[in-house]
Amino acid sequence: MSKLLKELKRELDSLTIVQLSIVVLILGVFLVLPVSFMILRAFFYKGSLSLYYFQSLLSSGTFIKIPPELRWIELAETPYGKILIIGRRGPNFGILLNSLFVSTMVMIFAGIIGTTAAFIMARYDFPGKNVFKVLLLIPMLATPFVNAFVLGKVLSVDGLFNYLMCDVLHALPFRIWITGLPALILIQTLSLYPIVYLNAFSSFINIDPTLEEQAENLGARGLKLFLTITLPLALPGISAGAALVFIFSMEDLGAPIGLSGAFGGGLHEKILSFQIYDEFRRGIGSIEQVHASTYAMAVIMLLVAIVVFLAIKKYVSLRSYAMLSKGGRWKPRVRRLGIMGLIPVYIFLITLAISASFPQIGVVILAFTNWAISGVLPTKFTTEYISALVTNREVARAITNSLIYSSIATAIMLLVGTSAAYIVARKKIPGRDLIDTLSTLPIAIPGIIVAVGYLLFFATYFSQTPFDPFFNPGLLLIFSYSVRRLPFSARTVFAGLQQVHESLEEAAMNLGASRAKVFFTIALPLIISNVISGGILSFVYSMNEVSTSITLSNLNPSQGPITFYMSQVIYASAAVGTVSVAAALGVLLIIAQITAISISNYILKQRVAFLGV
Amino acid sequence: MVEVKLQKVTKRFGKVVAVDSVTLSIKEGEFFTFLGPSGCGKTTTLRVIAGLEYPDEGKIFFDDEDVTDLPPYKRNTGMVFQNYALWPHMTVFENVAYGLKIRGYSKSEIRKRVLEVLELVKLKGLEDRYPTQLSGGQQQRVALARALVIEPKVLLLDEPLSNLDARLRIEMREELKKLQKKLKITTIYVTHDQEEALVISDRIAVMNQGKIMQVGEPNEVYRRPKNLFVATFLGRCSLIEGKIEKIEGDLVTLVTDNIKIKGIVPDRDIKIKEGEPAYAVLKPEDFALQIDDPSKANEFEGTVEWTSFVGPFNQMRISLGNISLLVNVEPWFNPPLKSTVKVYIPYEYVIILPKE
Repeated sequence: MSKLLKELKRELDSLTIVQLSIVVLILGVFLVLPVSFMILRAFFYKGSLSLYYFQSLLSSGTFIKIPPELRWIELAETPYGKILIIGRRGPNFGILLNSLFVSTMVMIFAGIIGTTAAFIMARYDFPGKNVFKVLLLIPMLATPFVNAFVLGKVLSVDGLFNYLMCDVLHALPFRIWITGLPALILIQTLSLYPIVYLNAFSSFINIDPTLEEQAENLGARGLKLFLTITLPLALPGISAGAALVFIFSMEDLGAPIGLSGAFGGGLHEKILSFQIYDEFRRGIGSIEQVHASTYAMAVIMLLVAIVVFLAIKKYVSLRSYAMLSKGGRWKPRVRRLGIMGLIPVYIFLITLAISASFPQIGVVILAFTNWAISGVLPTKFTTEYISALVTNREVARAITNSLIYSSIATAIMLLVGTSAAYIVARKKIPGRDLIDTLSTLPIAIPGIIVAVGYLLFFATYFSQTPFDPFFNPGLLLIFSYSVRRLPFSARTVFAGLQQVHESLEEAAMNLGASRAKVFFTIALPLIISNVISGGILSFVYSMNEVSTSITLSNLNPSQGPITFYMSQVIYASAAVGTVSVAAALGVLLIIAQITAISISNYILKQRVAFLGV
Repeated sequence: MVEVKLQKVTKRFGKVVAVDSVTLSIKEGEFFTFLGPSGCGKTTTLRVIAGLEYPDEGKIFFDDEDVTDLPPYKRNTGMVFQNYALWPHMTVFENVAYGLKIRGYSKSEIRKRVLEVLELVKLKGLEDRYPTQLSGGQQQRVALARALVIEPKVLLLDEPLSNLDARLRIEMREELKKLQKKLKITTIYVTHDQEEALVISDRIAVMNQGKIMQVGEPNEVYRRPKNLFVATFLGRCSLIEGKIEKIEGDLVTLVTDNIKIKGIVPDRDIKIKEGEPAYAVLKPEDFALQIDDPSKANEFEGTVEWTSFVGPFNQMRISLGNISLLVNVEPWFNPPLKSTVKVYIPYEYVIILPKE
């Protein structure tokens, strides 16, 4: 026992104590306590512990619908003529199963599309490859809510797609309308597949080519080679991507809110994330108006997300989501495609690129033309909406709010992320694994749950203080960003520390430098590029955070950030023309993201190869 | 300059015992080497001395000061890491000056000392280079200069030459030895290269599986191995299993199915008894084709199985029934395969060790 204490005393130098305190304080107050508080709330019925809300939820019939409605396609006569309607009446399995169904389908489709695209890009050479490399990543650029409006413009009954197919080309005998769960699956697949694509791509190029050459040498080729060697080696990366897609799909609010804005109510609202959000929007006035079963719903959603996350974390370490691939140290196996291969590859990639990037392209068109009010096609170019970013006071305030929140959040994130990463990478203290898990877990905690937790916790214990959500949601947003986007900075820094050989720090210690001195003179300068790059990414991901922004800002709209303003415009269907201003904001976000990712890539590539690594 | 003492030092990593109750003392100004195969615990022992690992049991003393619980930055040791651990974001000057800055020397004093030590390791003029702009040998000298400039109590060297090419390695080890003798600094060296250890050290500790197998001067551990591990680890040898037939004073006779070998036991502490199984250790370089006094030597006649030209000598394998001897002979002696040759090996060169 005394030995353990001695060891602990040795490990807990002043630097570690400071770092540990920062991590525990921030993660404790702004993640663990609010979320635990919310979980606890779900188990309290009339003052005592109970499963009442869970039981009433599960037996309500809306949560799990028995029997499910499976009719998902119908042909209807309308003023537009015959319409093939997909997803209006069904499938509908009830709120819980709908969420699981959508997330599972999105995971499967995104997995197949992402893996296929990654394999083509990693293993074949063809004209225009670099163009596709960029195009395939366009869906990563978040333009919350506005992209759904574009979707409505394109996919609605009188939208661009039907106009082209029926009125111009006469290729279809009837119009098509996709709504409900199929629409959710379609949108989320197209916006989330890049996560699988990136993971799979880096897995494929990180496979030592000699492993495949050896298999070929022994007689394997084609599909056999792929199924026995290539796929198994890449599977951890692909699975990690697919699991993240599942979680992101389940917590997504952008697509369901956007669909509601575009098509009105429908089955796309009958999912967990939307139901929780909707319930809380109603409880703006006072927290008591929120039905307690909502907390139970949130707990179930949290449980699913965390189980999926921990399972995949156990299966593979989740380092790839920081988008830091080590890159090929060897010459990868790339083959030139013949004409018979080129045709299917082009058909696949072009279809994918167009359908996946049309929301972003549409947002840009919306921002620069009168498309929002002109009908099927835009008729006039204008810079009116872009200039509104500066001239419209409400918009300018949202931008200012976003910039302030994201900057402060980034500073906090870097402090916490660097501290946590350093402890995890270098210290042998009990609880290290817990810190590792806590600093990556936020990626799996649905934002709506963080928002709900904040509302409950801070309204209960911090009423009439600066942390009162009804009075000052902006301050809470700063911390919610800090916690929710922490995994990006923590993992980027951690990846940097893994590249710094420990002997570099030991050499300094050997020469008389204390732990703190070693950290500031050796470790930090060596990982500074990772810190900066992680900071830039965190900043941008904070700018486009949706869930907590739109939930908490409702309490005091004057403190709302960009995404809140955009949601108001789309969901509340405010005055005509404001959609275009939201699109202009979307363009601003796109530019910020492209800039950040380019800078970050530039910095990390410029890094000198460290000695002894 | 200090004497370094280890008392029953044990270090475990999980279930693996990396260092197993090591006790020894390293004298002031001595060049002391830990030698052993990879994973034998030699580097861990060095890191325990540096304070980069703390022992689970046992104590470490620098002279009479118990440093067991002292953090590495308070021990004043100078360590050279296997990969040199040069900081890529600092110039050569900054790398070397680091320890002096920590110790709060004045700028002019730092400059003076750094330039002095760079001259000592023959790197003058390269102060402003970055480590990546240096060759492997130069990097190695920077690491050495960085460790020496703080005038450490003990110099710790963890396989410092293993990343250099063969030629440079030989040059550097001579230089290192000269430098150490000049500075008279207690030096602890870790290597898996037995030739390096023999050439460079005042004393060697041969380690295996965390334990010290033998400590002694180079010729002692080489010529008088006290156990089979040391006997077989240092140099090549023919190991012949048999039974002790006779013990006459220092001279011991070992019998096998078809031959008798006479040799000596390297140490009085080693107990052997007539009739018990034992081994004879015969080094190939101890054989000769002719000998002045055949009455004090074993004589073996066998057929040549193979020969190979090594350079300074010819190596061949001679078969005596089911026994095979590895023998070095003069480079001009090149008998045809399957021919019969006769070789001698003096009794005093044959080591007899009990079966463990």
